[in-house]
Amino acid sequence: MVLDNLSESLKSIMRKISGSSFIDKDTIKEVTKEIQRALLKADVNVKLVLKLTNTVQERALNEKPPAGMTAQDYIIRVIYEELLKILGTDSNFDLKPQTIMLVGLYGNGKTTTAGKLARLFMKKGLSTGLIAADVHRPGAFEQLQQISGDVNCGFYGEKEEKNALKIVRNGIKELEDFKIKIIDTSGRDSLDQELIDEVHEIKEKINPDTVLFVIDATLGQQAGPQAKTLHDAVNIDGVIITKMDGTGKAGGALSAVADIQSPVYFIGTGEHMDDIQIFNPKKFLSRLLGMGDIDALMEVV
Amino acid sequence: RDSVAPQKEKTIRRDELESTIEETLLEADVSYDATEEIIEKLKANLGKLKRKIDYPAVEEELKSVVRDVIQHNNKDAVNLLTVEKKPFVILFLGINGTGKTTTIGKLAYYLKSNNKSVVLSASDTFRAGAIDQLNILAGNVGVEIIKHDFRSDPASVAFDAIEHAKARKMDYVLIDSAGRMQTNKNLLDEMKKIKRVAKPDMTILVLDAMIGQDVINQALTFSSEINYDSVIVTKLDTDAKGGSIISISAGIKKPILFVGIGQEMDDIIPFDVEWYLKKIFSS
Ligand SMILES: Nc1nc2c(ncn2[C@@H]2O[C@H](COP(=O)(O)OP(=O)(O)OP(=O)(O)O)[C@@H](O)[C@H]2O)c(=O)[nH]1
Ligand SMILES: Nc1nc2c(ncn2[C@@H]2O[C@H](COP(=O)(O)OP(=O)(O)OP(=O)(O)O)[C@@H](O)[C@H]2O)c(=O)[nH]1
Ligand SMILES: [Mg+2]
Ligand SMILES: [Mg+2]
Repeated sequence: MVLDNLSESLKSIMRKISGSSFIDKDTIKEVTKEIQRALLKADVNVKLVLKLTNTVQERALNEKPPAGMTAQDYIIRVIYEELLKILGTDSNFDLKPQTIMLVGLYGNGKTTTAGKLARLFMKKGLSTGLIAADVHRPGAFEQLQQISGDVNCGFYGEKEEKNALKIVRNGIKELEDFKIKIIDTSGRDSLDQELIDEVHEIKEKINPDTVLFVIDATLGQQAGPQAKTLHDAVNIDGVIITKMDGTGKAGGALSAVADIQSPVYFIGTGEHMDDIQIFNPKKFLSRLLGMGDIDALMEVV
Repeated sequence: RDSVAPQKEKTIRRDELESTIEETLLEADVSYDATEEIIEKLKANLGKLKRKIDYPAVEEELKSVVRDVIQHNNKDAVNLLTVEKKPFVILFLGINGTGKTTTIGKLAYYLKSNNKSVVLSASDTFRAGAIDQLNILAGNVGVEIIKHDFRSDPASVAFDAIEHAKARKMDYVLIDSAGRMQTNKNLLDEMKKIKRVAKPDMTILVLDAMIGQDVINQALTFSSEINYDSVIVTKLDTDAKGGSIISISAGIKKPILFVGIGQEMDDIIPFDVEWYLKKIFSS
């Protein structure tokens, strides 16, 4: 049932208005307030939530539900459509030979994702090499090296070298024969200008084909602003949301996507190298709203 | 840095008070429930309101409500440097990537700087490079480390580290652990086993300051499944306001022991309420 997992109070409001084809203004306000609450609890950016719920309210007041659809189902659909506008439709990642650079905040899952992507590409018959450009975190080199052993892909790193750009340069040359090259970088945040400059320089000098932003599903209100700073520094081409196996609702990540207007390609669902899936916006939204089956609702149309 | 206060006007309409404060707190990643609780307290403290009120005064009052919540929560915080038991065994817990291993390095540095002897237990035997990471940190800080092979039993590493410390009359054992989602039953069971074997004197939950509303899920599930005594919040050098500190203080009531403020070994400070208030309310 569509409304199964919605927050209790939203459910009770829905029950109250269930079946009616007309919903009065006060009820719409009440419903939008509950939706607001659900989105805020899912870490969607506060200002984005306010904007979104205003639009929903406008539409719910002014539009008529199509024949055969109850008013409350229509409101849910409007919310869903508005959110989908931000997320876009399924975007397929182009599995072509390329150099990929992974960027993101401290500990969000870049290095692990590098291994997962390598396995994915290799399954598709594309040889892959990983480049260890995290020169800051102790053990980053060993971690990536071990991962490349696990997935049995190429690896390049220089253990004592502290210049990330130099390593990337040498790595690209050294791994020339590999169809896919993935550059793992250090974790960084918007206030660390030195590290922002470092990754900016790699982007400028190396010009990787694809820059992917790796972001964790438990992140809160900082997700958007952090993404924006990184986007300004390196121009993000796509997003990977990790740790979807936890209980984080990924509303922060959604807000980041809204801020930088880049497609989400993959989600991470665990620590193992196979724990990566192609992003499905509908599934994502039903999780965000705490709803079960959102497809059923859309099929009513 | 931006203030958490979203608007710059000097006065605020009474009917806007609630939504303004709500926005302020939620934008700082304070949990929804703690936000409601704080607003109720604030309204009670402000008493009968005029139609327009002075915003700076409201912010002062808000600060004082938040201060009360945090101070009350932290009144029983243990001073790590004065504990009597030897070795004092500390186990670190948290979801993936929050900063457990780095924090152990920092805490070892802090304890060592205070003339204490420390041994680390490399009980994350699961994640690639985790043993190397802790080993490098131990070397950098200059403390001992007990480690077994990759994929070996984390509890027996801890056991050995504790025996090592006992035999040498060392002061502290810090046990690293693999990151684990609070939803992963196998990993929760593994943690229970580590706890059973190591019988830690203190278990610390490590939280990332960038975390949003999920803090309550993590804090509650780990509390009921594993139980922990106090919390360390990392990455407070970032732009994150670390509202989880308020959420924990209001909802779960575990003291905040230290905060992490960078990637270097000296980037750790004992939690200080005034320091934190300055961080979240600074403009
Ligand atoms: N449960 C879960 N854990 C993940 C996922 N992706 C990564 N991790 C874990 O998150 C932790 C951090 O991952 P890393 O790959 O080291 O993150 P990073 O971004 O490279 O970290 P830094 O290089 O330190 O900034 C590790 O324990 C990973 O195993 C995921 O999808 N689910
Ligand atoms: N800026 C900043 N970075 C930090 C802080 N604490 C940890 N980090 C970084 O966060 C990332 C993850 O830290 P780790 O110590 O590996 O985290 P962990 O919890 O042990 O990770 P897993 O063992 O994979 O679950 C690393 O890049 C650290 O340098 C902090 O206080 N400030
Ligand atoms: Mg990494
Ligand atoms: Mg660790």
